Amino acid sequence: MNENDAQERINTLFGSYRAEWLDHKVFELFSEPNYFPELVTNRPCVLLGGRGTGKTTVLRCLSYDGQFALKRNDPERFADQKFFGIFYRVDTNRVTAFKGTERNDDQWAKLFGHYLNLVLGGLFVRFLAWHHQHYPGYATFSSQALNLICTAFQLGGVTNLSELVHAFRLGLVEYEAQINNIAENGPSRLTIQGAPIDVLIDCARELTQFADRQFYFLIDEYENFLDYQQRAVNTLIKHVGTRYTIKIGVKQLGWRVRHCLNGTEQLISPADYNRISLAQRLEDGVFDEFALHVCQARLDQIDSTLQVRVNTLFPGINDEDEADALIGAGVPFSPQSLALIGTLSSATRQKFDGLRKLEQVFLVTWPDNAAPRQFDEAVELLYSNAPRYRERYENYKHSLLFSLRRGKAGIRKYYAGWDVYTKLAAGNIRFILELVERAFVAHIQKGEKWGLPLSLKTQTQTAIAVGRKNLDELEGLDVDGAKLTKLVLGLGRIFQVMAADPIAHSPEVNQFQISGGAPTEIETAKAEKLLGSGVNHVALLRLVGSKPSDPGDTKDSDYTVHPIFSAFFEFSYRRKRKMTLTCEQLVLLVDQPKVAINEILQKSGRDETDEPLPEQMVLFESFYDSSG
Amino acid sequence: MQAYASPADVSFGSDAVIIRGTGPEPRHTPVYAAPARYVDITVQDSDSFVYHYEAKRSYVALRNRTHLKEFLTQLAGNLFIDMTALSHHIWAPILRTALMLGRTTRVLYIEPEGYVRSPTGVEGEIFDLSERINGVAAIPGFASLSDEFEDRICFVPMLGFEGKRTAHVWEQVQPQGNKIYPIIGLPGFRLEFPFYTVQSNQRILHETQAWKNVRYAAANNPFSVYDTLCEIQEANTGSLLKIAPIGTKPHALGAFLYPLKSRRTVEFVYDFPIRKSDRTIGVGKVFVYRVSEFMA
Repeated sequence: MNENDAQERINTLFGSYRAEWLDHKVFELFSEPNYFPELVTNRPCVLLGGRGTGKTTVLRCLSYDGQFALKRNDPERFADQKFFGIFYRVDTNRVTAFKGTERNDDQWAKLFGHYLNLVLGGLFVRFLAWHHQHYPGYATFSSQALNLICTAFQLGGVTNLSELVHAFRLGLVEYEAQINNIAENGPSRLTIQGAPIDVLIDCARELTQFADRQFYFLIDEYENFLDYQQRAVNTLIKHVGTRYTIKIGVKQLGWRVRHCLNGTEQLISPADYNRISLAQRLEDGVFDEFALHVCQARLDQIDSTLQVRVNTLFPGINDEDEADALIGAGVPFSPQSLALIGTLSSATRQKFDGLRKLEQVFLVTWPDNAAPRQFDEAVELLYSNAPRYRERYENYKHSLLFSLRRGKAGIRKYYAGWDVYTKLAAGNIRFILELVERAFVAHIQKGEKWGLPLSLKTQTQTAIAVGRKNLDELEGLDVDGAKLTKLVLGLGRIFQVMAADPIAHSPEVNQFQISGGAPTEIETAKAEKLLGSGVNHVALLRLVGSKPSDPGDTKDSDYTVHPIFSAFFEFSYRRKRKMTLTCEQLVLLVDQPKVAINEILQKSGRDETDEPLPEQMVLFESFYDSSG
Repeated sequence: MQAYASPADVSFGSDAVIIRGTGPEPRHTPVYAAPARYVDITVQDSDSFVYHYEAKRSYVALRNRTHLKEFLTQLAGNLFIDMTALSHHIWAPILRTALMLGRTTRVLYIEPEGYVRSPTGVEGEIFDLSERINGVAAIPGFASLSDEFEDRICFVPMLGFEGKRTAHVWEQVQPQGNKIYPIIGLPGFRLEFPFYTVQSNQRILHETQAWKNVRYAAANNPFSVYDTLCEIQEANTGSLLKIAPIGTKPHALGAFLYPLKSRRTVEFVYDFPIRKSDRTIGVGKVFVYRVSEFMA
């Protein structure tokens, strides 16, 4: 396969990293995640995860056409299918038609309930029509059943299944006209939410082919429902019974309302539903394996002759070798450091010279070694691998890498290796696909041979570019996207300055918790909204295990800027130490970034002005210079 | 379509009534060659508006066809809808009602001389136009509930200078890359504007590969947009056009005229921006669009 072919295939198989773009290929490339069996039960499930964690892919693969495709579109293989999933993506543009000052929430809930009946009912009968098309030997609804269904949904009479499909479409069109004139006349014929669906499914169950089968409604992008609409669908989930069940996909903090329409009932896990938090299910080890599987399947499709494990194409580098690569020939010690080294006895000097460059840097920069006697002793201890001293070195050595090329042009820290890439992706399958795709394309565009391992430089440049691209994307993700971008730019700059100046500070600070201060209610609300939006759109990670993911507890959790941004800003992708921010500081980072960045850095004993922007951040210079 | 160098060159007949919005930009208070009767829409809410006419203040619910009809019926004479200071969700239902009533209707648009540059200089943000967006929501009276074409969607964003708005709308629609047909205003209000449009939207154009399907229509010509939409629909028979009117106002006018004249079903996707009060500079050309004649 030539390079052009490879690039095209890479773009198709890795570049379409959204389930929505892959269309039917999403089924072909599906890798079953470890939690998949939990979804194939007759219980409501809630899949919670940020964007890019694979919710849509999984739900689409649970749908009847997904399952059919997974069974190679073979009616015989699909004949014993035990469940049928009906996929429904919540469309903001549609559901927002059911809000406005013309009605109160209770009235809108009734109007919305009828709409949801028509939508889910319509999708279900389309499935029945699809099934009939593939299995024409089975009987469909009797005329009595058709009458019953049409009456239940307030539709006109029909004589067969295909007319029933059309009747649902017509019902929606008529309802659309009524909603568009809602301030004048309310619709006269409404159905009670869920009731006609029960009738429809009861009728379907009377058919031989569906007698002992399960039906799932798969509702994706649940966060797009308005609050009262979430209450309405929560009510359906609470009282779903045994006729069918509901599986929902929702962003981590997008399930804003847990109670039902009557206000007293709440949805509780595990009594009412099975909660599947993707952040927990795809923790490091599990995600690494899953990511490898997903990428390998794609690589095999790109080039079946390659016969190579995808992770071997992404070689990494250990800290000592990385220091050698970053420093090049000779350690550029300061005059003070050279004077200190000059105080060593010749025997100790020989030992010092025999150490790795990173070890030497550690020894001369460690604050306790400023005096010749302590320095001499430290060299001896590290050289002899004294456990206490070796441990200290191990704890700090990675953080030192960020300071070796401080203020210099070019790559200042490598982000390379399959292990590093999976950590940058941090449980997000879309990010790993994007990293791999862009790295492969960059490799080919540099004229490197397809199938050979990628250079450290290519991997690093890719990681920076992907970070930048996702930073640019934030603005469009949310109505508060511009604020999110500012927040990430602010936090990223803080962690970058901290990383570049690790000496005499806690190493690898890249997390934060919100605490202290005396925020006003408005500031608290603003901070919580920012954090919630950041987690939903994967600008921030809320750290697993810090707190349960209920809405309202955003303030008490630990957060980190998503590691996908770490290469762009040059801070550590490893989850290490945290600092404390107040709500006021978080809000100030968005409103007055320059002021906030300076204030936070000064508190940690650093000065932003000491640290020029890395090359890749220069485009944002005017942002960091502006006071607003 | 008639173009005038400035408002001072425009004169309306004695029976003209101009429906217009109020706003802080210089072009929102034009001085025409001869006085006219005005209906000033002073409050533009999400589902209603308040207007002043002949010393009377009244309210119209946008999702009430009778209200809209009564509003227009009281206005005798030739209707001019000046969309310059009106939001899409206000002028579009008025225009549709006027056309349904068979009223002779013109639409006015006054270009600015220029736009205020963004102080941040960030890619995708050349001009400083919107305070924020309220987010994608149904336009009152234009809500689409039908999901018949859900798997056959052509997304048609009309591109402007705010790439972040394109990105937001695109994120909501999630169309497939080969089914995105961006429309760029070419020629632009000014020679360099089409380049700014591409620059502001380059990330999304590149990432979705939508640059392959870009269509061009004069930035000040709604009828050219209409023709472009017809071509896109013809090339995608059986697909539903989801149109995002986030570019120029004349482009948006063409978009709203399209389903009315072609009788085709479309869906509008709009993000309801809150405009910055000082986003434009000066008063430019005035365009008068003979919409009734176009619809005939």
